[in-house]
Amino acid sequence: MERAANISLAAWPRARESDRARVSVRLFAVILVASAGVSAALASWLPLQVSILTVFLFAGPHNWFELRYFLMRLPARFGRSRNFFAVAFTGIFLLTAAYLAMPALYYANLWSGANWPDAMATWNTLLLLWLGALVMMRSRQSSRRDWFWMLPVVFLLCALNWLQPQLFSLAIVYIHPLVALWFLDRHLRRTRPEWRRTYHRCLILLPLLIAGMLWQLSRTSSLADDNGLFWRITQHAGADLLPSVSSHMLVSLHVFLELLHYGVWIIALPLIGATGALWSVRTIPLARRRGGFPKLIAAVLVFGLFVVGVLWFGFSVNYAAMRDVYFAVAIAHVLAEAPFLLRMI
Amino acid sequence: MKRTFVLCTAALLLIGSALFAFGDIARPKPTPAPGKVLFHTGLQIVPDSKAYEARLQISQETLQRIREATANSPANTSMTQRIMQSSTRTVMAGMFMFLAISFAGVWLARSTQRRGQKAIAGALLVVGMLGAATVIVRANAGPPGYYYWQKLPENLTKGQGTRGGLDIEIVSGDDGIKLIVPMKTNKAPGEE
Repeated sequence: MERAANISLAAWPRARESDRARVSVRLFAVILVASAGVSAALASWLPLQVSILTVFLFAGPHNWFELRYFLMRLPARFGRSRNFFAVAFTGIFLLTAAYLAMPALYYANLWSGANWPDAMATWNTLLLLWLGALVMMRSRQSSRRDWFWMLPVVFLLCALNWLQPQLFSLAIVYIHPLVALWFLDRHLRRTRPEWRRTYHRCLILLPLLIAGMLWQLSRTSSLADDNGLFWRITQHAGADLLPSVSSHMLVSLHVFLELLHYGVWIIALPLIGATGALWSVRTIPLARRRGGFPKLIAAVLVFGLFVVGVLWFGFSVNYAAMRDVYFAVAIAHVLAEAPFLLRMI
Repeated sequence: MKRTFVLCTAALLLIGSALFAFGDIARPKPTPAPGKVLFHTGLQIVPDSKAYEARLQISQETLQRIREATANSPANTSMTQRIMQSSTRTVMAGMFMFLAISFAGVWLARSTQRRGQKAIAGALLVVGMLGAATVIVRANAGPPGYYYWQKLPENLTKGQGTRGGLDIEIVSGDDGIKLIVPMKTNKAPGEE
């Protein structure tokens, strides 16, 4: 028990004075508001172009920053969280494999894709049940948490998913970027609680910006998706599922949320010192502990940088194909966010 | 062994020839796709003794609405039709809905906190009010559509107009425009 308490504290090092001096709360708020405003303007103005450029530049690096962050949040010893992490990592692996298997089987002509919505609904159900299991396990780790009410919510979401599996998947596409804002909130709560009030005030701007974008773009004509790449981008934003909605609005909204997501992982969290010194593995508990794995962690991070380079190279050679591959593989980082966010609640 | 081989070969040849013969059969006529309601509007039937030809007059505004509805209509079926067409998904959705309600009940039963009970009581009150409001609104809803069209023959005989609800459907084929009027007959079964 005592060890578990120490692990928890070790995973949340207090921000040092040098880190605290790195940025003031006012500058933090200005950066947040300015970033959100510029992102909304760019996404509304040139949605397709900004989407292409954003994914090219930030998709890989933001995954590396997430990996770095998750390694920092991973406790040095799992202790009584062993089962939680076992279920989490097994779920991430199996769900990612199943997600990648669906298009792989289709393109290998081993599956016609005739019952694609049913397959998608099954995958979504497994995802929800996995999340439900994690929530229940996390709830049992403390007597103060009673999250039993989450079970009916999970089953209700399963029911809605089976009614409209494709719309449910589209909802994940739009909701996932917002999870980064939740991460930032939880991190501020632990390390800089005095900043949270300012942060919450800044968050009020988000629905206003989204409402403004919807109001401005709802009557715009749909984007010309006459080439393969543009078609992929509009489909990813849900143009096929929501034919009566302007694809300009859908793509702009999705790009705006993606920009926020990348901004939090690449700018906001490192700015407040959440990822520690990027070049030092000593800020990672698994590497720092006695008998830890500093070389393994360093190798993982270097390999991550190599993957980022490969991703950039792939985008340069065949952007459209690489984009498809990236968004298929990227489901792993979407899934990985769930257990780490639950550990922070 | 040899006899079995010959019999199997003959059977395979027979099946093969059947496949070829089937290839000459005309393609089955595809089942016509069900119509799709684009929007709801009204229709008035007016008898005109001076008219030589029957006319279906569509106002400019209605025509514009038809154009817009057709332009916005996706090529595939509607949401309700998609749900109804997949029995597996309906069954799964129903099962999870049942589980959701069951676990919500368990959660309500084991919830002992006073604050929680107040919140639940408030939620139930809101749901009850919404339900009551729904019943009240339904009570003020008009009679079913066929009620208005029942008077059509009588009104036509009297030379009077009849007004009732109308769904505009877009159907496949080239049968022009068909007006289907709901008429309830009072004849007993078997009576002609």
